Parts: sequence; structure tokens; C-alpha cells
Amino acid sequence: MTDTKEHLSSSQKQEAFLEKWASGEGIDFPDEKSKAAYQYRAGIMKDAIQLKKTPDRAPVVPLTTFAPVMLYGYSGKQAMYDPHILGKIALDFTTEYDVDAAGIAPMIMYGPALETLDYHLYRWPGHGVKEELSYQFVEKEYMKAEDYDHLIVDPSDYWFRVWLPRTHGALAPLAELPPMYGTMELPMAGPWLCTLGAPPIQQAYKALLEAGKQCFDWISALGPYLGRIMASGYPFYAGGATKAPFDLLGDSFRGTVQLMMDLYRRPEKVIAAMERLTPLMIGTGVAGAMANNNPLVFIPLHKGADGFMSNEQFEKFYWPSLKAVMMGLIEQGCVPCCFVEGGYNERLEYLAEMPKGQSIFIFDRTDMARARKILGGKSCIGGGFPISLIVTGTVRQVEDETKRLLDTAAGDGGYILSIGCAMDEAREDTLKAFIKTGQEYGKY
Amino acid sequence: MKDSEVLTEAIVEMEENKAMELTKQLLENGVNPMEVFEAYQKAMVEVGKRFEKGVYFIPELVMSGNMMNTAMEIIKPYLSEKETTDQKKKLGKILIATVEGDIHDIGKNIVATLLELNGFEVRDLGVDVPIDTIVSEAKDFGADIVGLSGLLTLAFDPMKDVVAKLEEAGLRDKVKVIIGGGQMDEQVCRYVGADAYVIDAVAGINFCKQWVGAN
Repeated sequence: MTDTKEHLSSSQKQEAFLEKWASGEGIDFPDEKSKAAYQYRAGIMKDAIQLKKTPDRAPVVPLTTFAPVMLYGYSGKQAMYDPHILGKIALDFTTEYDVDAAGIAPMIMYGPALETLDYHLYRWPGHGVKEELSYQFVEKEYMKAEDYDHLIVDPSDYWFRVWLPRTHGALAPLAELPPMYGTMELPMAGPWLCTLGAPPIQQAYKALLEAGKQCFDWISALGPYLGRIMASGYPFYAGGATKAPFDLLGDSFRGTVQLMMDLYRRPEKVIAAMERLTPLMIGTGVAGAMANNNPLVFIPLHKGADGFMSNEQFEKFYWPSLKAVMMGLIEQGCVPCCFVEGGYNERLEYLAEMPKGQSIFIFDRTDMARARKILGGKSCIGGGFPISLIVTGTVRQVEDETKRLLDTAAGDGGYILSIGCAMDEAREDTLKAFIKTGQEYGKY
Repeated sequence: MKDSEVLTEAIVEMEENKAMELTKQLLENGVNPMEVFEAYQKAMVEVGKRFEKGVYFIPELVMSGNMMNTAMEIIKPYLSEKETTDQKKKLGKILIATVEGDIHDIGKNIVATLLELNGFEVRDLGVDVPIDTIVSEAKDFGADIVGLSGLLTLAFDPMKDVVAKLEEAGLRDKVKVIIGGGQMDEQVCRYVGADAYVIDAVAGINFCKQWVGAN
């Protein structure tokens, strides 16, 4: 990005950011061959996204969480507790399976830091889930119905003094802190500072700093492996990540059932909260993209899928804030990459409202023929391969289905071959068959 | 329109406050509590129909379920002993669990609530339930149907193992097995050896009703 970026249109900003990312600038390649390989892979991704040029072939990008860990015979716990094991798995998986974009490591996080924080939002291997398995989300009503006004008036204050204490056991004492706004004047600064000195609060801050130190050491150990992945010729499939405001509220704050009832009990509060959270979610995505020098911002979509709500409700409660987040990302040169979980057959027309060639939609269980028909020539689509075949199918079944999917969805570009979910597990034979068939049959 | 019909309509239209007030009012005015209860049952049938037609979705399922549960607490004290017994007559017994390794329960809980409200006796074993526990509880409970829930792909194998263990225990021909969750499909259903797979709550309830001959 240059100093003149303020004067560029959003599509020019995106072009510049994508171009910079695809060039491999700043990556310490060992040789020209690796650099060319990186540029080829990032280049076909860029072509698939922008719809200006038919790429050489459809990029093959299976999204994973713990699948590579399992494939190399490690446990989920080992991956979450040893950055060297995680780093080696990420490097080996990316190069051996030869995917067009890598991504596992940032999805995993560091177990000891979560222990320090007594993190309640997930259970993870060795901590509420068997050591060999993957982490799992624990959805609860962390935010009460009566909390809406606090969230809407001051999300950061609510987040810090109410939500963090409820979701991170070690930070529970922060609930006793007064608001920090008294620091504006000497006589009013006392309550905040005095409370900060109370032993439980001191403990909470120590835990937070300790978790930060643990994560810093972790990423310092992991970083060189991630650098080697890129230097070996493999771009990462996401720079940042963010959420649709409705999912943020439904997943981590109110819980699905409570939020769904809120649509009837306090619809105006839900909408006000969505609007308030929108700029926060844009900022979160952009910050990650800038820090990692990668314009792709991953957005997993959850609770707006077919079956969760009517189109009328989607139009009122879900789509406006998601669209605003996506547009906000695009305006700052990022590429929103929605991972559309569940089915979106009823929603495709909404997605078609996005400006041409600036977003990605990776689908799970959406009819890919319909996705191609409605979004083809408008936005890059991807996914649609059933995980059930990777886990329980035969090589032959996988080859046939991969070809069928490419015939249906690849068109003349604008398609990324991917599996409909981020894989917790996989089989070597079927996953390799999927990738190989994709690379061969996916040529344009 | 009869008062009970007004109540049914209020529930179906998701007018929660009106429905609750009307429920109390009718009972206080001496209306037969079974008639009030039936107004809720009728409403649930209509909500189910609208769900199948693609008019209603999760918000309406959980709202109506919540209204009916609240109303049941209001109605209970008005019911005679016989009515309470009649009301307890169930369509069939369903054992439901999220299988070993998986701790997700939102879908399972919605299904369990709807099954109860539709007249089934439900034993909910919770999440991360070991295979042997599911099999022994199915036997102990005399389950007609075993419902297995799982969001993750790691649920496939435990589900398959439950079916195999039910067979070993000689129970497989006595119980129907239904699996539900985001990644369920025909392929997984065959792999597991289940009788049906579903990815939405109402479809699951319809299978169960059909199996006990209630449709």
C-alpha cells in the first residue's frame, strides 16, 4: 500500500493489495523456482477472485483445522501445546499435499495460554475434549437480554468489563472495575486506579500478561515454519478474519436460541447491536490483513443459512450488517472471503449484490449449479465438495465427484476447488485423490 | 372465533404476550384446562406445517416451544389427576444423545424439546455420550427410536459403532436409528447404517411420528 491510497478507488486499492500479495514481496525465497511457484499459486487465486482473466486452472484449496495433525499421526493436544510440532505439520502438509494456499497454523492457537486465561468459550484437546480430537465451541448465553443497552452504548467497555470476565475465568475480577472514563480528570481518576490495585484485579492482569507472553513465545517459535511455507512457494489463504455481526452476537454473546427469540422479543435492539458491531468487525478484519500483508479476510458464516431464518428475516437482521462489513473491507483494499456454512440456496440473490470480482464465497452444502448460475461472472465461488466422501468414501468416488463438481462449478474461471467444511479429519488416499484430480482436471 | 381459537392464533402468530395473558385469563375464567392445552397443541401443528412450507424457521420453532413450555407450567395446577395421566400418554419413547467426542447440543436440544411437545417421551443423555451408555440406556428405557446427534465429522464413527452395538445387543430390529447434524447426508447414513438422516428438526420429528404410526 502506498501513501496515495486515500486517493484510490476501492477496486484500485484491492488490485494494489492483491498485486502486492501475489508478487511475494517481502518473502525470503531461496531460489527463483520457489518464487515462481508462489507467484503462480497466488496468481491463479487472484485471477479466480477478480474474474478479469481465466486462470491456468482452478486453485485447489481444502480448508483445514486439525486434519493435517491427524494425517501425520499427531494428537490435537500435541498440535495445541507444541509450536514446533504444529509448525512441522503445517509445513509438511502444505508441501506434501501441494495445496495452492496454506492455512492450518493460525486456526489452532496455543493451549497453555488458554489454560492461563481459563478460557470458557471452547473446550480443546486434553481440556474437556479427548487429547486426539479437535477443539469445540461452547455456546452459552454469555450476554444477558438486559445487557443490550450496555453493548450498544459502549461495546468496548461491555466487552472488557462484562463479556471477558464471563468467558475467561482468570479475568472474572475485571467485572469489578469501574469504567475507565474517570481518568479524564485527576479527582475522578481515583476509583479506577484504586480498583486496579486490588489483589484480584492485579491477578487478572497478571494472567492476561502471562497469556500474552505465552502467545508471543508461541508465535516466535511458529513463525519461522510459516515463513518457510511461504518461501517454499505457498501463499496463505487468509490474512485476517472477522465475523458477520449477527453470528458474533449469536455465537459468542447471546447464543442461538436466545438470539432467535430476540428477533421477536426485542428486534430493535438486535438491529441496533448489529449496526454498532459493524465497524468493529471491519476494523478487526482489516487489522489482520494489514498485519499479515495478505488482503484475504476470512468470514465464517453461521446463522443466516437456509433453515435458520426466512428471507424476510435474513434481509432485516442478517444481510445488511454482513454486507456492510464486506463493503467496509473492500473499501480498504481487502477481499472478504465468506465461508458459507450450511446451505445458502435461498440467499444467493443477496450475495449477487456484491460488486463484481471483489469477494469470495466458499460454499458448504449449497447447490453449486445454482451458485454458478446466480454468482457466475459476479463473484468468485468455491467449495461444494462433501466432506463425507473424504472421510467415508473411496478414491474412485472422490475422483468422480471432483470431476463432476468442476464440470458444474468451474465455468471459465472464478472458482476455487475446496471442501465444504474446514476439515477436522481426513484420509490420505481420498484427500490426495481430491487434490490431484483437481489439479489435473481443473485446467482451463 | 372461540377463545381457544384466538389463543391458537396468537401462538401461531408469535404474539407471546397476548398468548400468555389469554392462557391465564381462560384458566381463571374456568375454561377447561385440556381445551387450553389443546389450543397449544393445535398451534404447534400449524407452526410445524409452516416450517415445512418454508414460511417459519428456527426463530418460530424456539419461540413456540418456549411459549408452550411456559404455558404448561401455568396449566398444570388446573389439571385433574386423570387429565394429568392422559396428558402423559406418549406416542413413543425416544432416546437422544450427542455421540462420544462431540459436545455440540443446540440442535439436539431443539429437537428434544419439539419431540416432547409433540407427545414423545424423551430421554436426553446429553453430549459426548459413550457408545456403551447409549446402548445400555436404550435397552433400559425400552426406546422405540434412538436419535444420534453430531455436528463434527468425528461423530460418524461413534454413530456407526452405536448401530453395530445395538445389533450385537439384539436391539437393532426393535429400534429405529435416526442421525442428525450439519454434515449428515445419504453417504453418511449408509456408512453409519442408520434408518434415516436429517438436517432439520421438523424433518426429524416427522420421521419419528411416522415410525410410531402417529402420522
